[in-house]
Amino acid sequence: MAVSSGRQRPGAVRRVIGSDHFSGWAFVTPGVAIILLFGAAPIVWSAVMSFQRSNLLSPSTPFVGLANYRQLVHDPIVVQAIQHTLIYSALFVPGTMAVGLFLAVAMNRKIRFISVYRTAAYATMAISTISEAIVFIWLFDPSYGVVNYFLAMIGVPQQQFLNSPSEALYVIVAMTIWGWTGFAVVIYLAALQAIPQTLLEAAAIDGAGPWRTFRRITLPLLSPASLFLAVWLTINALQLFDEVYLSTQGGPLNATTVLVYYLYNQAFQQFNFGYASAIAYFLFLVIIVITAIQFRVGRRFTHYRS
Amino acid sequence: MAKHRLRGPLAGLLTALTAVTVPLAACGTDSGGSSGASGPIQIWEGYTGAEAKAFAHLVADYEAQHPGQKVSALYVNNDDTLQKVLTAVRGGSPPDIAYLYGSWAPNVAQIPQVVNLTQVVKQPGVDWNDFWTGERAVATVNGKVIGIPALVDNLAVVYNKTLFAKAGLPLPGPGWTWRQFQADAKKLTDPAIKQYGTAYVTPGSEDTVWHWEALLWEAGGALLSADGKQAAFDSPAGLTSLDTLRTMAVTDKSMYLDPTDSAYANLFNSGKIGMLVTGPWDLSGFPNVHYGVQVMPSYPGTSGGHQTISGPDNWVVFDNGPARVSAAEQFLLWLTAPAQVRYFSLQTGDLPTRQSVGQQASLSQQMNASLPGVATFIANLGNVRQARPQIPQYPKISQILGTMIVSVLLGQSQPQTALKSAAAQVNQALAAS
Repeated sequence: MAVSSGRQRPGAVRRVIGSDHFSGWAFVTPGVAIILLFGAAPIVWSAVMSFQRSNLLSPSTPFVGLANYRQLVHDPIVVQAIQHTLIYSALFVPGTMAVGLFLAVAMNRKIRFISVYRTAAYATMAISTISEAIVFIWLFDPSYGVVNYFLAMIGVPQQQFLNSPSEALYVIVAMTIWGWTGFAVVIYLAALQAIPQTLLEAAAIDGAGPWRTFRRITLPLLSPASLFLAVWLTINALQLFDEVYLSTQGGPLNATTVLVYYLYNQAFQQFNFGYASAIAYFLFLVIIVITAIQFRVGRRFTHYRS
Repeated sequence: MAKHRLRGPLAGLLTALTAVTVPLAACGTDSGGSSGASGPIQIWEGYTGAEAKAFAHLVADYEAQHPGQKVSALYVNNDDTLQKVLTAVRGGSPPDIAYLYGSWAPNVAQIPQVVNLTQVVKQPGVDWNDFWTGERAVATVNGKVIGIPALVDNLAVVYNKTLFAKAGLPLPGPGWTWRQFQADAKKLTDPAIKQYGTAYVTPGSEDTVWHWEALLWEAGGALLSADGKQAAFDSPAGLTSLDTLRTMAVTDKSMYLDPTDSAYANLFNSGKIGMLVTGPWDLSGFPNVHYGVQVMPSYPGTSGGHQTISGPDNWVVFDNGPARVSAAEQFLLWLTAPAQVRYFSLQTGDLPTRQSVGQQASLSQQMNASLPGVATFIANLGNVRQARPQIPQYPKISQILGTMIVSVLLGQSQPQTALKSAAAQVNQALAAS
């Protein structure tokens, strides 16, 4: 593909074929072709589709210009979905990082059965989302759930949780923080173990207490891991779908309708593939902007050791 | 949010995009199989367990009885079939026959490769009117027959006999009313032991909606005007039906609301719910309770009487050339003939798709012996008098109605205002296309 040998003389062709450049491309071509076919082609195709009215059923797909994007701006559910997506991300990302950091620090020591604890923390990642959703549905069941049972013990009245438009999203936040904690723990544990003991000892000799050492030494040295987690978890948060699909299906009353769920709903339940593609491209834009901001802001607070 | 796949930031957006583009990825490729004029008929179905076994048996029977005919079945999860069919249609290699949900019918009818079966079902020996009214309605879009009934069900009331006895209540009779249902539900409710009179599924999806539609019809109402151009449910009947549900959910608190659509069956099986409005598919999930089945209650004084709603599914034929179409039609007509319908129902407990089979007392008894209560569901097929509107806008309308019902059940809006606002939205959706 990068090699164009059309009008060159045979000798030149042989030289090109024999070059490292050529064999390099020859090796990657199958991979590139697959990525182009299954990655790039659909991306381009859905871009085209976002300017069409298409239900994928009938062959007529008239171009409608920016109509899908205009509809997006005026769709009240899109506005709600954006709000829900942002609220969710704003709680899920810091929440997962905080719980992950806490557990990682707690487990970054040599105590008995430590590998059991570490495995247990990571187990949440190994559990399938559907099992996770079923467990949380029962934990948070308004009548029979154990969460309301414990709340009642401390005098809190019965909560409606997934039945309540004002609470359902927070149940999803709790569910996903639980599911992703193992991931954050692993990243933070690895980063913690890479912190040189000498720095911590030097701090101790200089008279720094444990909290001060943590604030001044550990936390800054964890910043590359934190940046990675922030970016990674944010991208995943903006794409929240499975848990919503499996538990509330966007309800009650759209309270848990996030962007990707709405996109799915438009595409596969309402057959508005053109509109759904426009939503997908809008989401793409949001992710790029937020990721760019995170990298820019994050750079200021991130310390890389040489 | 699939957490097992690691992706780079750029690749991350692919998830969102794949959702809409997967059907396109296979464009231009011919997956083979059904491309030739000869070769076995390709049929996509979603049968598992007893259904899969019975279906395989029928296919083998067919091949034995029709030398030279071959049928090749491919399992596809029913939920995904339309999506996969669309991919295959775009790729130029649709199956010859696919099992498709009835609720998709108006949209399926827009696929140019779908074969018009209107003349086929008029052939002598097919006896189209032997299929239940509700089935024929769902297989027909704008007067065109686009499928042959593959499955039929309906809603009735499944009740816990033990709980009725404990509460000192007489068991529901065939002439019962919604007022009785309401009163029974109230008496069966006991907050102290977390026992509810009844339950309702509230994800706001079509499952939420069709339960209410049965009540609307029984109250003498209709969803849309006769010409299908206007909402007609903002009516006294609409109000009566929503009020019935609201009284139980909000006033009496006798209704367990299940936003996940997944808890109610387990709770009923645990003896925590007195009565459920549900279909025959749930019966096998209630081994722990002593249950009975009764037809839906009615609203006395209305023209509605006892009705119910059915959600039939269709076998749809795709055009892969005249020879294959005719082979596919021949197989389907055989598969849905009375003898095969009877065999399939006996083996699986699925309701018979033909009236002549459903009215055989011997079959009903035999099926009821292995799945108690199923006989009532079979008889209840006669109470299916109407079908949901067969229009492409129905998914949108369903969503509006789902929101309306949930907002009333959660006590967030009054039935009257909810009906009015939903009707306005439905009219807008109908006018938009």
